[in-house]
Amino acid sequence: MSKKPTAQPVIHKVIMVGSGGVGKSALTLQFMYDEFVEDYEPTKADSYRKKILLDGEDVQIDILDTAGQEDYAAIRDNYFRSGEGFLCIFSITEDESFQATQEFREQILRVKNDENIPFLLVGNKCDLEDKRKVTFQEASDRAKQWGVPYVETSAKTREHVDKVFYDLMREIRARKMDENKTSNGRGKDKSKKKKRLCKIL
Amino acid sequence: MDFDSPDVMKDFPGLYASEFNKKCSNDSDYSDDAEKGIKKDMLIGKRKDKKDKKDKERGYAALEGESSDEANKSRSPSKSKKSKSFKFTTKSKEKREKSRDKEHIDKKKDRDKKVDKKCEKDKLKKVKQSVEETIYIADTLPIFGVSLDLAVERSRCHDGVDIPLPIRECIDYVEASGISFECVYKISGTKTKVSQIKKMYNHRQNVRLSDYDIPTATSLLKMFLRDLPEPIFTNDLLIRFEEAGAILNFNTREKHLKILVDNLPPLNKLLLSWLIVHLNKVSLNEKQNKMSKQNIAAALNHIFHISSRLLQALLYHSQALFPNVVIFKYIPPLGSGAQLPDKQQAMETELKKQESLLTQIHKEMNVCSISKEREELLWEVQRIITQLKRKLKMVQKVKDTPEKTEEPASVKEDEPVADVKNDDIVDGSSSQNDNGELSISHSDNSSSKSQPTIATVDTESHHLDLSSLSREVQDLNSSEEEFPLEKNDFLFDDDIVLLTYKRNGLISLKEQLLKDMQAERNEIEILKAKLERSNNASAPIALIPRQECLDDIMVLLQKENQILQIKKINLVRKIIEEKESCIELSAQLRLAANDNYSNKF
Repeated sequence: MSKKPTAQPVIHKVIMVGSGGVGKSALTLQFMYDEFVEDYEPTKADSYRKKILLDGEDVQIDILDTAGQEDYAAIRDNYFRSGEGFLCIFSITEDESFQATQEFREQILRVKNDENIPFLLVGNKCDLEDKRKVTFQEASDRAKQWGVPYVETSAKTREHVDKVFYDLMREIRARKMDENKTSNGRGKDKSKKKKRLCKIL
Repeated sequence: MDFDSPDVMKDFPGLYASEFNKKCSNDSDYSDDAEKGIKKDMLIGKRKDKKDKKDKERGYAALEGESSDEANKSRSPSKSKKSKSFKFTTKSKEKREKSRDKEHIDKKKDRDKKVDKKCEKDKLKKVKQSVEETIYIADTLPIFGVSLDLAVERSRCHDGVDIPLPIRECIDYVEASGISFECVYKISGTKTKVSQIKKMYNHRQNVRLSDYDIPTATSLLKMFLRDLPEPIFTNDLLIRFEEAGAILNFNTREKHLKILVDNLPPLNKLLLSWLIVHLNKVSLNEKQNKMSKQNIAAALNHIFHISSRLLQALLYHSQALFPNVVIFKYIPPLGSGAQLPDKQQAMETELKKQESLLTQIHKEMNVCSISKEREELLWEVQRIITQLKRKLKMVQKVKDTPEKTEEPASVKEDEPVADVKNDDIVDGSSSQNDNGELSISHSDNSSSKSQPTIATVDTESHHLDLSSLSREVQDLNSSEEEFPLEKNDFLFDDDIVLLTYKRNGLISLKEQLLKDMQAERNEIEILKAKLERSNNASAPIALIPRQECLDDIMVLLQKENQILQIKKINLVRKIIEEKESCIELSAQLRLAANDNYSNKF
């Protein structure tokens, strides 16, 4: 419970979303502890914190690894509100998981009421090139449509694992700085207007 | 009173207001501002009205602990969302549909209470929609002034003792540092402070009672009990309690009180037991705190809504009424930064606590928006759970590897003994088989079938019994083999001590079982002897004309006997299972007692 807002570095809250078995936990564990877990064990919800150096600045990252299984959707939804950035993961070897990203994206936008929420589309398992079902083009087209970056990763080989987390944190940081600036002026009203618009949609 | 009648509409305007609005806003989930305004007005305007009603109706709530659980479960979004998950708009829509469905069910069930609850929840849902408005958890889910089951649910002690947190912490505080405080429970605390603490509890803030004085803490406890909509003795049993308390004969009074206490709902009984045991403890320190049983009864009888005579009687009978109640200090779930435990058992208990806390926060979130701090806590608790699970997994892994190397040694030590016993058993059962056959042949020889067959069945039943027992013993033997005997593992001395305790217990159980088997065997011998004797004696007496009739009866009896045998075997098995779990529990108890001792290994 003890909070040390002044002493502690900034915390960026990242949420991992995506269907079951796409490698959310694998990516998280690879990033946190440099380990790759082979055996699959569905996550209910897990949370991690790590101190890192982001462009020379001490920050903390809070990672919430959510459940892909719909059984735990209620638990997952409770966390969405407090998330500041989202990694939307799918497996390039499973088209269904790619299709599901659309739903995740919509839900996040609905909860956050914000089109510009820091968000990365992540195609995982890129080491399994021979089993690829989702082409790079397809995925990056969707990312472009959403206005978000697309990155392919491999939790197994650690390819681009750090990159996705760091990129997302940079976006979150930029976002926070933006908000600080605008909150002094009239920017707040603008964001409110945006919220209204979203609602009508 | 029909539910749809206009009367009810007047009684529960909130419900109907939301119903009405529901219809209006069914098409879009986000209603416009004007509508919101109306809604708010309607709700706020009637809030007071409702509160009065609520207080009256909550009287029934405490009686229905189970059904309220049910209601909560059925509301659980994890279930409701299984089919249509992953849509936030549908969440609220579904919820509302659910509440409508529930209304129909409510008509059949005790509606007073549920309507009250639902009024509350409908209101919440409505308010929740307006994003800008912040609702405080203290207003929507208060802890003080609600029925006991709600209070327990909302302010749980996460160690499995279902007593509302404020009460538990007051008791802990008084036990720790107020037991010799002069006139404890008699002197009142500062009113403003008491209501401040109450507010903090209602807002789910962390309260450190030790920052306040004893009278403030005791006043808080009194306030909680006084605010309960239904007395802890329940409206139904209150008079009967009074009657029992007035009985002059000590033993009769105790007996009657015991029966009544056992008839209380579980939560009430638990809370009462802790309070009485605690107050009795206070009264035992009469010399220092000047609070004799009589004084306590006079000071506190009104908060229980009972006469001081009854309260005094309960204090005098506390030992007999609540013999197994042990008050122990509540240790809340660890916060961030705290050192997580290293021992497996401690980790498991901590994990349970954290999970209970997490569930509670999730539940709160499903009903209303929670404070930033609470949200922060949610992540934190989740983080601690993740860490604990990770740690446990690692311990498990490390444990798995050394055990494998240990196992052969331990098996070697154990095997000869086990083998001998197993052989013994096999011999025994085969000899029983022989016995069975023998008696059957006897019955064939005899001219009257009735008596010998009964005897056969009898021995058979013993035989079955024995074989099941021998199976159990075999199980025990095999399960024993799994326990490592080596004690030199420095990492898990705790577990090893636990296992040795368990093993000792199991060995004694095994011996007991073997003894039992021997006794059974002896009995069989005796029966066999009897059978032979009766064969010799009763054969001539048999009545031939009634043979057929007797046969029918025999078939019936045999069938009955078989059924009984099966039942008996199941029971025996159950008993043995229970015994095993007893052994495990007692081993754990001993371990807990020897916590320091285990470090010396």
